[in-house]
Amino acid sequence: MEKMSYYAFVAAILATGLALILYLGYAVSGLRAARMQTAGNGFGMRGGTLGLVIEPRTATFGRYGSILGWLAFAFLSAWLVFRTLATGHGPFANMYEFSVAFSWGILGAYYWFERSYHQRILGLLALPIALAMMVYAFANPAPNEPLVPALQNNLLLTVHVAVAIVAYGSFSIAFVAAFLFLFQQRPVERAFALGFTVALIALVVGAIQSALLVGALAAVVAGTLAGVLVYAVDGRRGLAAIDTSGGSWGLPRPVVLDEIGYKAVVIGFPFLAATIVLGALWAEVAWGRYWAWDPKETASLVTWLIYATYLHARVIRGWTGSRAAILLQVGFGATLMTYFGNYFFGGLHSYAGLG
Amino acid sequence: MTNQTRAGRLPGLAADPTALVDETQVARQESRGIFEAVWDLLTSMRFSLVVTLGMAGLGVLGALIIQVPAGVEADASAKLDWLAGVRPRFGGWTDVMDRLQLFNVFNSIWFRGLTAFLTISLIACMVQRAPGLWRTATKPRITVGDRFFAHARERDSIVVRGDAADLTTRTVAVLRRHHYRVVAEDDGAVNLYADRFRWAPFGSLIGHLAIVVILAGVIVGSLFGFREDAFVIAEGSTVAVPSGEGLSLELISFEDAYYTTTGAPSDYASELILYQNGQEVARHTARVNDPLRFGDLSFFQSFYGPAALISVTSADGATELFSDGVALAWEAKSDGRSVGTFTIPAEDLTVWLVGTLGTGDTLVRPGQIRVEAYRASTGDPIEQASIDQGVASTVAGLSFTFGREIQFSGLSVARDPGTLIVWLGSILLIAGFTIGFSFPHRRLWARLVVRPDGVGTLAVATPGRASHDVDRAFTNLVTDLRAACAGPSAS
Repeated sequence: MEKMSYYAFVAAILATGLALILYLGYAVSGLRAARMQTAGNGFGMRGGTLGLVIEPRTATFGRYGSILGWLAFAFLSAWLVFRTLATGHGPFANMYEFSVAFSWGILGAYYWFERSYHQRILGLLALPIALAMMVYAFANPAPNEPLVPALQNNLLLTVHVAVAIVAYGSFSIAFVAAFLFLFQQRPVERAFALGFTVALIALVVGAIQSALLVGALAAVVAGTLAGVLVYAVDGRRGLAAIDTSGGSWGLPRPVVLDEIGYKAVVIGFPFLAATIVLGALWAEVAWGRYWAWDPKETASLVTWLIYATYLHARVIRGWTGSRAAILLQVGFGATLMTYFGNYFFGGLHSYAGLG
Repeated sequence: MTNQTRAGRLPGLAADPTALVDETQVARQESRGIFEAVWDLLTSMRFSLVVTLGMAGLGVLGALIIQVPAGVEADASAKLDWLAGVRPRFGGWTDVMDRLQLFNVFNSIWFRGLTAFLTISLIACMVQRAPGLWRTATKPRITVGDRFFAHARERDSIVVRGDAADLTTRTVAVLRRHHYRVVAEDDGAVNLYADRFRWAPFGSLIGHLAIVVILAGVIVGSLFGFREDAFVIAEGSTVAVPSGEGLSLELISFEDAYYTTTGAPSDYASELILYQNGQEVARHTARVNDPLRFGDLSFFQSFYGPAALISVTSADGATELFSDGVALAWEAKSDGRSVGTFTIPAEDLTVWLVGTLGTGDTLVRPGQIRVEAYRASTGDPIEQASIDQGVASTVAGLSFTFGREIQFSGLSVARDPGTLIVWLGSILLIAGFTIGFSFPHRRLWARLVVRPDGVGTLAVATPGRASHDVDRAFTNLVTDLRAACAGPSAS
């Protein structure tokens, strides 16, 4: 069973990688089509006599990308089953298992939204996050070790983490939507989106290498550099004149991205609340108190508060649009900090298979 | 932010009661007293947004900065020791950070203040918004102006033919088929109001209320709860439970088991018997994840360690002064040895027991225990000696016997009457928000005007911002209405 789960995992990595390449082709073709369209030769927007608009990009790439992505999701689902059978509990007991499950959540959330919104371009960013999680898991393979006493609660272990994965997966999609939203706004916002993402990567890598301080410094420097660089290039080219409502570079319209971000949070928010509550319930059973300000508890509460702010921001004039999208980015940053929290917080969750 | 201004100007929002909240404008227009100003601040979503972000910020500090362990804050000398321990890390900032309560963020005035603000603001918001929700659900406006039908985000107009009453019946039937509740009003034209999930917005309200409930549970717990995190019993001993009620707990045995494959711990189990006024009332093997519960009192397996079975008699061996397991549950600051203590009031004696560090320890060799006797009333040392196992040795004029090494179990004892309230709040929170988010209140207005020649228009419109689901549902509905009312499209 353990072998089977391993094969499924490797197959999922390969499928995701290939799907990502196809999504890249899809995006590039979309960009080309959008360029040609603005250049005015009308290619790709041939309105037929019936008013049908032919999709201005090579849809085949996207279609096969999706099929491969679905396949990757199926492999990961198989991994979940095999791993559960092999270990006798939900495969969420250490960082390896949790990370693969996280990528399962991201792919699941992505395809859920692809089905209703048909915005394949989100996959271009969602799949790398999932792939990064899988590669991270691949680098940290955990043997099938029996559980330490604190984790010996099959029901709560499975439910607590399964619910967390749905929340984290949704928040990843919200992040991707917010990124694409900000990317189509003014150069400042675009610079922020890129700078923030670069900083986030630096911080997470720093945390994993247990060099949090270096990571944080690198995050600030790299984030600022990336932001300034993008801003400088943008300013020279004068891309500020881009229509912020129409969908630039073959990307989805910001209005659609805003809605996807919101829908993702609407799913993730109650699920994160449930994760926290189930965690509290478990803490009461195992440690005798439902809340101990353990760093991971605190981080999840902070994440929840940030998304609560987002939900309010979205109905306050002056906070809609870019500011709300920025909150989504910050929220995902908090999600990742919660997830990788065991690396630098210590605390009660620190048993979760690190070493 | 071009997109934001655009969103603000979406057609139809003027007629939409759920439109974006614009508080600044209201605030500027009116000049009011201090009470109204405070009320406006508390019910302002912007304010709660800033407070929430502030709490999140403090949470980040609390997660990143090392926090004082529970209990140390209240003990001045322990606090000084602890601060000395972190001083190398924070240097000159240590005292500044301590003064700012950054080492105790979640009990700090900042955090408590923000929590209080948020709670009051939550309550104020609920009080302010509940009547409106109730009105929207029970007494909706049925007739709306033409402006709404001309500008709403989702709108359509259908040319209809036939008798007004018959057309009304058909329209209502279609709306009902789409699960709408329909209310009609006639002012020459037929005005219809239809909605779905009119109670769902209360889900959101309950979700907010739940936060207050949870906080109430926390307060009840801290006011009326009882907690002892270091309740230590050596194997074979019976110790009075400090919660009152005449309870005492006996530890029959403690077992720690390990996986042979990895060496990782597999089980910690304390076999416990609980007595009330000498009568056995509960018996349970407490494990991590499986506490002993008695009434509202719970005993949780928390930690364990070495203990020593000690008996003390008078020098001639005639009178037994003490015979019990003594938990070596503390650690000597200087050398990390396990230490434990007991008193013999009759002899005015406080005895400290010091365990061995293992092979290579010359002060307390393996198999020995060190006995340090002090005068209880003055704290003056009397005599110290390392004694061998199983041999009666004389220390401070009394005969000490170190029976054997056993184990102690450390339990957390807790009674928290707030827990149930917290769980209730948690259920309300999840259920409330899930309902509020999953079933957004859908409202729709229609106006049917039929001219004497039997030709008329049915205008349909729904408020709100652009949304994929609403788009699709509205398009389906209009298609069905068009089919039912059998007239060619006017738009």
